[in-house]
Amino acid sequence: MKFDLDAVLVEHGCAGSALATRILRALPRHVPVTHVADNETREATRPASGARDPFGAGKRRMVIARRKTPFLMPCHAGSSRFACCGYLVLTLASNCPMDCSYCFLQEYLADNPAFQVYANFTDSFDELDRLIDNARGRSFRVGTAELADSLAFDSITSISRDLIDFFASRENLTLELKTKTDEIENLLGRDPRGRVLVSWTLSPAAVYRSSEHLTASPTARIAAARAVLDAGYRVAFHLDPLIAYPGAERDYLLLIDELLDTIAPKQISFISMGGLRMTPRLRGAARSRFPGDPMLCGEDVLAADGRFRTFTPLRLNLYRTLADRFRKAGAEIPAYLCMEAASVHESVFGAAPSRPAIIGNRLARD
Amino acid sequence: MNADEIDAQIRMLAAERRLPPSHLARWLAMDPASRAAMLDIARVIRLRTGQLMTALETLEEIAVREHVTAAGVLGRPEIRRIAGGPGSAPSRASALLEALRTLRYPLLKKMQEQIRSEVSALKLPRGISVVLPKELGSDELTVSLRVRSAAELARLLEALDRSRTGLTRIIEMLGGKR
Repeated sequence: MKFDLDAVLVEHGCAGSALATRILRALPRHVPVTHVADNETREATRPASGARDPFGAGKRRMVIARRKTPFLMPCHAGSSRFACCGYLVLTLASNCPMDCSYCFLQEYLADNPAFQVYANFTDSFDELDRLIDNARGRSFRVGTAELADSLAFDSITSISRDLIDFFASRENLTLELKTKTDEIENLLGRDPRGRVLVSWTLSPAAVYRSSEHLTASPTARIAAARAVLDAGYRVAFHLDPLIAYPGAERDYLLLIDELLDTIAPKQISFISMGGLRMTPRLRGAARSRFPGDPMLCGEDVLAADGRFRTFTPLRLNLYRTLADRFRKAGAEIPAYLCMEAASVHESVFGAAPSRPAIIGNRLARD
Repeated sequence: MNADEIDAQIRMLAAERRLPPSHLARWLAMDPASRAAMLDIARVIRLRTGQLMTALETLEEIAVREHVTAAGVLGRPEIRRIAGGPGSAPSRASALLEALRTLRYPLLKKMQEQIRSEVSALKLPRGISVVLPKELGSDELTVSLRVRSAAELARLLEALDRSRTGLTRIIEMLGGKR
């Protein structure tokens, strides 16, 4: 286990579950384990009173509980304001042991920051089967990284193995495991049969050092991508958040060069880009937790969607420069922008984005 | 004045201005030289509450961006010129905030100046207004016509058509193409 935990709390009803058994077996001895009544779980996920950094403390308190709401949902970033990539979210965990200064979970999970994993996660497989039964002929890309990193605790949960085995046998589903780690041991040696895509968020070294605490280095992420590619997985990359700090353009281009030196363009399933965006509340929370991080003090202005974003010409210029570099690499890598208006897509890529279902279908199949 | 006396003066000024506790805490969290420099300028140009809050926030952000202290920023020639220059206290206060904002948003300010100068160069007649998006927070340019007769409309449309190249250039600048 690469990340520290201060405590593990197990909901009584989950004590004998396969997931709890796996975790407790793999857990270092010094981590205390407590059992809580099913009706006390909610309280156990709340911010610790008296903690100097309740959100940070929550990340180190794992709660193994039963999820009572659906696992599968549309990506919450989808909105009529933005072009959408048709991504579906499978919530198997909530919060992340890494600590990126810009992370939206600081706002989204402010009231329940404990690291939750759901013991009944295999119930999600029924939801997925219902999805494909009800939409025959369509393909879906389903990811587990909306509220958590897909692989951060995989060394103790091994959930990826169950997921890979399930998705490998479903022709119309593609699993996206999105991560900033190099925790790929459980993936190697399994046959994903083309149905599993592993993706990495990539940032230049300056952003990694300043803002992406406890993550694997960009070079380690690219090396891990190479390893899973060689093991039969598809790979994709998210340049998101793109941060327009002084020198960003040069650094992102060097990063892309490093990536393309290791992985040929035609082996990349897709690239996504998304400029750093923060609601005022998230911006306040992030700056309060990371007051010395210059990446949080970019030339951001309040945009029409109520989020602070890098002022438009600078942001669009950066998108276009990076998109051009990929284009010049000699292969047409499918690319999309996350949480940007259709007009921005058109301006950057020279064509309006397709409908979400079509993009989702394409990204799932390509 | 020693550090304790400076802090006492800061607290007194904060009380006079009813500065929110969060901003007083920010001020007191600065290094001693920055606390003193901020106190000095706040007094010299008589910053009002909102101006004091904005100055503290902006200074803090510049300091983080540039890895410098607030005292280092306040000691720069362009800031010292404003602090010690002629003009009323309110006008110097506005000039100070504008100067700090230019330091905080250097590329944005430069881009705004370039686009505004492109708009001026169009020499559009009265009746046509070109409004840039607030703080270049979008790529949308608003062009409006104000007319009272068909002849006036025809004249303004002709003027717009003559400015097509320039307007296109401005739209491309807003879209980050230049």
